[in-house]
Amino acid sequence: MKAYINSYESSSCAGNTQELMNAIYEKKSGISIDTSYMSNTPVGLGKMSYENFFDEMNAVVQTVLDNSNLDNFNNTLLIVGSSVGGMAQSEEHYFRDKDYKRIDPNKHAISVIGDSLQSAFNFADVRAISTACTSSANAFLLAKRLINVEAYENILVVGADALCYTTVCGFYALSVLSSKPCTPFTEGREGMNVAEAVAAVLVQDKQLDDSIELCGVGASSDAYHMTNPDPEALGAIASMSKALQDAELNASDIDYVNAHGTGTQANDKVEGLGVETLFGDVYVSSTKAITGHTLGAAGALEAIISCETIKQGVIPPQASLGKVENENINLPLEAIKQDVKYVVSNSFAFGGNNTSVIFGGTK
Amino acid sequence: MRKVAINIISAAKIAAPTKIEDLEDKRIVPKMMLRRRLTRNAKIMLFIADKCEFTGGKIVYGSAFGELQSTVGITDAILNDTQISPTLFQNSVYNSAPSYFSLLNVDKDEIITISSGMNTSLAALKTAALQALVSGERVLCVATECLDIANIEQVNSCTSFLEAGAGVVLEIAEDESGAVEIEDLNEEGVIDSLRDLVSLVNMSAKGSRKVFITL
Repeated sequence: MKAYINSYESSSCAGNTQELMNAIYEKKSGISIDTSYMSNTPVGLGKMSYENFFDEMNAVVQTVLDNSNLDNFNNTLLIVGSSVGGMAQSEEHYFRDKDYKRIDPNKHAISVIGDSLQSAFNFADVRAISTACTSSANAFLLAKRLINVEAYENILVVGADALCYTTVCGFYALSVLSSKPCTPFTEGREGMNVAEAVAAVLVQDKQLDDSIELCGVGASSDAYHMTNPDPEALGAIASMSKALQDAELNASDIDYVNAHGTGTQANDKVEGLGVETLFGDVYVSSTKAITGHTLGAAGALEAIISCETIKQGVIPPQASLGKVENENINLPLEAIKQDVKYVVSNSFAFGGNNTSVIFGGTK
Repeated sequence: MRKVAINIISAAKIAAPTKIEDLEDKRIVPKMMLRRRLTRNAKIMLFIADKCEFTGGKIVYGSAFGELQSTVGITDAILNDTQISPTLFQNSVYNSAPSYFSLLNVDKDEIITISSGMNTSLAALKTAALQALVSGERVLCVATECLDIANIEQVNSCTSFLEAGAGVVLEIAEDESGAVEIEDLNEEGVIDSLRDLVSLVNMSAKGSRKVFITL
């Protein structure tokens, strides 16, 4: 069976999906300069507006259900992708009490996301993936394969990560945070913006009028370094090539690459090389200049951006672009209206974990 | 829902009330620089992989609580306003352990890390069976938990073994004849997140090596 994306919604620092796409096309970043996590060090962060992250997550998933052909999720597998789970809540208790007594282990773990959604929606089954920044991209990898082998008819992929001290201060310790909205693929870029998001995508075995096909998935490991990508881009090229092979497409079939494009020196240099090597002058941009890096949620959020790119027939421009580092890649300066049939979305993570997903129009 | 039969090719487990004493890491990881960076989960995962004679290919790794020691080190540094070690942060992600396997063995294949609370090892087995089904290859499925941190007794009510791990190498069986459902052979005091993998290891030891997994 083929896999189709039939409903989705998101919430990020750029708003809901419609507001997000408007911000992307208008190159209006949702990043704000923040000192709440590190009082003496301003950093650019992608902060959502909510009173309770889990209530926001439930609202996003409810919208996906309301816009779907399902009455409920009782016959749907939930696959969550998250890198921090309930870390923010554990930090709150620990920083206040200076002990663990009030920390609920079940609300600390990654599984808190799935548990919360399960109690609200009663899914057929739940599982959670945590491969750092490829978490929800790998959820699509499993979702497509489960549909292909006819294990499930309906799968909801949810990417969800909230901001917390551990990630903001941790990335700062790695010297990869930017003090301003990030500038992917720009020479001399400062680094990335840690951000938060919820993105939910319904994958089904049935094609509807406005379906987007989940055409191909590919994954690889760099086997090079825990945080730095293979400088020859072999891991990135391998994941993109495997996704093309899975989709039975050639590189020339791809209209747009939604890059991982974190804005760090290491990622963008290597990813640019990988895209150049495999795709030549295909359009490529990083929407993290608008959303920041939403970590485990990024794969799902950028899947939605990829679907919208196909549906609207408009290639996202590269926001915040200065002097281009790699002039052999094709970064659109403005939104470009054209037929878009196939989009590659890349996600790369600590441990050299690489995942690429291909989305295709069905009209 | 789809059910498949898997063959258990090899299996291993280990557990200790606090720190597991000999994980043979000097033999398994001869390079000192790499060995010094390993997390406890990574050392246990590498030990299980070694006992299962798995040297490369697709890996499905599971852990309900991930790299607690690294996480605690980071939050303590934030609380005490001291510098966070970059190594601690890079080691704090849930996929650290299989990533170290990838580095050690130059394994460039797919790695999936599952963290589904107390259902972690069952969810990992379902994922590993799927990976074996779509690839036709043997897959390492391994889960570990390392809760051996100071003051863990403030929150630990789920295990008598602060370090534990279990794993199997599996493949899709050519036919379903003789396959059985997973029998609950978990051991008293072992954390429930490892239940299904520990059960599978114990089933394998008793001679039941063909098992049904519902994807």
